[in-house]
Amino acid sequence: MTENPDAFQTDAAPPPAGQVLDAHLHVLDRQVLDRDDVPVTTADDLELDGIEVGAPIEPGSPRPTVSAILTGPQLVMRLFGGHAPAARTIRIPWRLVSEVGTVIHLGVAGDALDATWAERWVSRHLIGRIPGGRHAPE
Amino acid sequence: MLLSDLLDSDAVDADGRRVGAVIDVRLEVSGAPRQLLADTVVTGLLVSPHSRFSTWGYERRDEDGPLLIARFQRWLHRGTFLVAWDDVERVDEGRVVFRRGYTARDAALPRAPRER
Repeated sequence: MTENPDAFQTDAAPPPAGQVLDAHLHVLDRQVLDRDDVPVTTADDLELDGIEVGAPIEPGSPRPTVSAILTGPQLVMRLFGGHAPAARTIRIPWRLVSEVGTVIHLGVAGDALDATWAERWVSRHLIGRIPGGRHAPE
Repeated sequence: MLLSDLLDSDAVDADGRRVGAVIDVRLEVSGAPRQLLADTVVTGLLVSPHSRFSTWGYERRDEDGPLLIARFQRWLHRGTFLVAWDDVERVDEGRVVFRRGYTARDAALPRAPRER
C-alpha cells in the first residue's frame, strides 16, 4: 500500500459477470418508464439491502443488493440531508425493473404503482369532475 | 441503507487515514435471476482522493468531449480508484472503513451501458 493515490491504479478490476452500472452515474435522476413507455417518475435514490451501519462486515459475506428505487420527497432529502418518514417514502421495488439504459424501464403498468397516486388522484377528483373529463376527446 | 447515505462518505483505511470520498457505488446485474432482471449487487465503491462531487464520470470512460470539461473533470478526479465490496470492513455514519491491505483497482467502466 502506498500513500500516493495516483499510484493505486495498477490492479485491473475483475471481468464483470453482468451489466455494470455506477449508481450515481447511470441510475440516479434517470427517468422511470412503465411497460408502455409512459413516464412514471425519476429515480431519486436507491435502497440498498444488506448494509448495517456500524456492524463489521465479515469476509465472504453476501454482497448488498439494490432493493428499491425511491422517489417522492427523497430528492430533497438527498440534496439537503436527512431521511423522509417511511410513510412519505414512495418505493418502486427493484424486482419490477426490466432494463436500465438511458432510462429505467419497468415491466409493469405505472397505474399499479404508488408513485403515480398523485396523478390518479388529480385525474379522479379534479379532471374527472370537468364535463367530458372522463373520456378521451372525440 | 440508502445510496445517498454512502455517497460523499469519507473513505478511510484500517489505520484511520482518510484516502478520499465515496463518489459512486458500482453495481452489477449479476445476482440471483428474477423474472425481469437479475438481482443487482453492490460490487465496489469508487473513491476520489480530491473531490466529493461526481458529475459525468469522465474519469471512468474514454470520452474526451467537450475537451475543456473532460480535462477539468479528469483533473478533479485524478487518482480515482475502485475498492471491491469484499475489501470494505465497516460502514459507519458518513464513513466507510476499508480492510487492511485492501486493493485499489482501476475505476474505468468496462463498457458504457448505452453501447449495449
